[in-house]
Amino acid sequence: MIGKLKEAASTLSNPYLKKWKEAGKAVIGYPCTFVPEEIIHAAGMLPYRLRGVGTTSLSIGDTYFGPVICSFPKCVLQLAGQESYRFLDGVIITNGCDSMRRLDECWRKAEEDIAGILPGYFRYFGVPHKTASYSFDWFEQEIRELIRSIEEHFGLQITDSALRKSIRLYNSSRRLLQRIDELRSGPEVRISGQDALAVVLAGSSMPRERYTSILEGLVKSLESAPGRAEGKNRLMLVGSASDDLDFIRLIEDSGAIVVADTLCFGARSYSDLTDEKDDPVSALSRRYLSNSLCPRMFGYYRNRLSHILDKAKKARVDGVILQNIRFCDLHGSENGIFERDLERRGIPCMRMEREYGPLVETGRIRMRLDAFMERIS
Amino acid sequence: MRRETREYPYDWMIWSILHQASLSTAGTEKEYSRLLTLVPHFRDILDSFIKHGEPGRIFLDLITGYADLCITAIECGRKVAMTTFCMATPLLYAFDTAPVMLEAWTVLGTMVLKRGTAEYLDYCCEAGFTETSCSAQRGALGAYLAGLAVRPDFIICDSPGICDTNANSFAFASAYLDIPFFQLNYPSTITDTRAAEYQKNDFRELVSFLELHTGTTLDETMLRGILEEVRVQDALASELIDLMRLKPSPVPGIYDLMFYGGRFMMSGKPIYTELLRSMLRTARSNAASGASGTTSKKERARGLFCYIDHYTTDARFWDWMDAQDISHLGSVLFTFWHGDAPYARERQDEAYHIDTSDKDTMIDSLAAQVSRMPMVKQIRGPYDAPGMWLDDLLGTIRLLRPDFVAYIGSMGCRNSWGMNKLLVRDLEREGVPAVILFADAFDDRVASWSTVTDKLQEFMNLRRIGI
Repeated sequence: MIGKLKEAASTLSNPYLKKWKEAGKAVIGYPCTFVPEEIIHAAGMLPYRLRGVGTTSLSIGDTYFGPVICSFPKCVLQLAGQESYRFLDGVIITNGCDSMRRLDECWRKAEEDIAGILPGYFRYFGVPHKTASYSFDWFEQEIRELIRSIEEHFGLQITDSALRKSIRLYNSSRRLLQRIDELRSGPEVRISGQDALAVVLAGSSMPRERYTSILEGLVKSLESAPGRAEGKNRLMLVGSASDDLDFIRLIEDSGAIVVADTLCFGARSYSDLTDEKDDPVSALSRRYLSNSLCPRMFGYYRNRLSHILDKAKKARVDGVILQNIRFCDLHGSENGIFERDLERRGIPCMRMEREYGPLVETGRIRMRLDAFMERIS
Repeated sequence: MRRETREYPYDWMIWSILHQASLSTAGTEKEYSRLLTLVPHFRDILDSFIKHGEPGRIFLDLITGYADLCITAIECGRKVAMTTFCMATPLLYAFDTAPVMLEAWTVLGTMVLKRGTAEYLDYCCEAGFTETSCSAQRGALGAYLAGLAVRPDFIICDSPGICDTNANSFAFASAYLDIPFFQLNYPSTITDTRAAEYQKNDFRELVSFLELHTGTTLDETMLRGILEEVRVQDALASELIDLMRLKPSPVPGIYDLMFYGGRFMMSGKPIYTELLRSMLRTARSNAASGASGTTSKKERARGLFCYIDHYTTDARFWDWMDAQDISHLGSVLFTFWHGDAPYARERQDEAYHIDTSDKDTMIDSLAAQVSRMPMVKQIRGPYDAPGMWLDDLLGTIRLLRPDFVAYIGSMGCRNSWGMNKLLVRDLEREGVPAVILFADAFDDRVASWSTVTDKLQEFMNLRRIGI
């Protein structure tokens, strides 16, 4: 079961996606957890989280982006430029961070040179950086504008009842992911960190109905799975976007097991649910904007710290890896204060700056992991 | 940070240097010349201002006054707000609050200290900050994190939605120093009603925040007085920019720094009005005689800078331009978007207007003004004018007719480095020679000043500019 999910998580175009496209259905790409997937789903389309899987060069990304930019949007642009994202019918870009926001302009500019790489539907979706009452109102309006533009472009209607149905479906899969989280962070640790990440990643690139049914089976099988924690250091992974299964494997090969995370590709995407009773758009605006676990939400450090402390306590972690992609100042700097405040509370931390994409720094990372393991063992 | 660096408070040290500098012209010319030999590390920058006569002297008084306001705030019973250059000061002054602008303090340190702000930049990394963060804030922030400057009472920044690295510096400072934080947050558009309403609501929230943390209420009369002064300053600024349209430009290059530096620090204060009037007198006089603002009175080329200027190594940037007979036509920091500004004439929907009728209209005017500050206006998107600085630059190019555009910024600016290649390409398509200078305006360890001038010179030679 995990094998199927791992396959979906490790490739750009998985069998579920291919089948979806063969059925003539549309796929909309999005780069960040602040985009309400339920809207795309309610439109009968597949929400697909943009990633840089399989990037082997940045020749196109570097043509448009400057040298001191996060490698994640560069990888996405690279794949778009080499037409690996041909299956996308639309893309929604957010201001998740400045590098990601500039992907909007770089992608549009790349289209001038490589015709056809810009999907027919290409929209910028603004997300406020605070949670004041007027921010929620503004964000709700932004979601309504997004709905209207999808309806107009694709000639369809996103009804309230379809939205409610999608919200229920996404909530149910998030509940299942939360259950897997419990099984992962409990004393026995029923699933490795690498597999847990693969499970979450697969969900961002396959039809939700199918995904949810796989999750149901997976939860059942994990509940009776053997424990994996014996003799291993229990770690928590915090920081920038990380969807590299090999990176987690490297950590777990060093004598550790990743029992918790706050990654946007990981637990951050399912840590809370959408209110099913309220007006659906209003409920979505609250669910997505209230999620202040990303440092792009400026001034909410204390919330994030207490979230990490809470999670670390529940998962009984022996240490925390605070990683960030180079040039990700948001996570990188906040990791610096996390390190101070977690170490003060007796939680060992290791800060690690790395590049996004295929592991090219294995030796350096392994050496640092070994040193950290020595410290906490 | 070295022990000896920890011996002196950063802000006090800079104030002390500036204060002495502002007194340097009180004596005879002979005494001044003798004095220059005694301040080898500050000589160039001091003389850059003093040799420009009255405007230079007023500017020295202005920055000394600003520094004085910040370092004496606590003993004078004023609150201290740590803030950013693109946060217009009138509201803070109306609350009698000292605006400690990190970028202004970084520039001051970069210019007047022997080793610039290198140790303070690096101290931020010791405190946990990334080395890739913007040096514009880090330069001074290191001193504040190390407790080597006045402790702010609260933090106000208006960069969320504009610039992550800027906003992140303030969020970091708030978490690190454990002081209250307020953010003005901007949508990516500027001309639509939704964005305007959002900004108005946000600004009212800021007023409430200030009332809470200063323990006072907004003084309507004081605010009106400040805004009336801003209105006068806007009119004077418009004339100065109008004069720059002349060929040769009669405006000396260093006025660029004095114009926006004065505005950032002392907008709404009479001394800034005095500075603008003084600069205008010289520029008008040059214009009347058909002379360029350069020392030689000749103009070899006209340069427009995007996005900022270069501040390291005794601020030699402006003197170098002057020595090369290149008229400095300003940078993006030059644009404040008052409705009467020459560049705003056909783009009124993007400009702000000051209405002092009542408290509400004043707050709305301030909200509009802050949302159009340099950087806030361009980098927020705006998605009703894509290309970041492109629209504003093209407008300025049509107005001022530069021979080239040069990008100078900081290595921490993700927006810049996500956009400047596209920008240069679009400018070249419009027939404007453009160059990206790979350097850091606040930290010459990235690229030395001579590397910067070599690159610029090479670019001008290659493109036959001013030849």
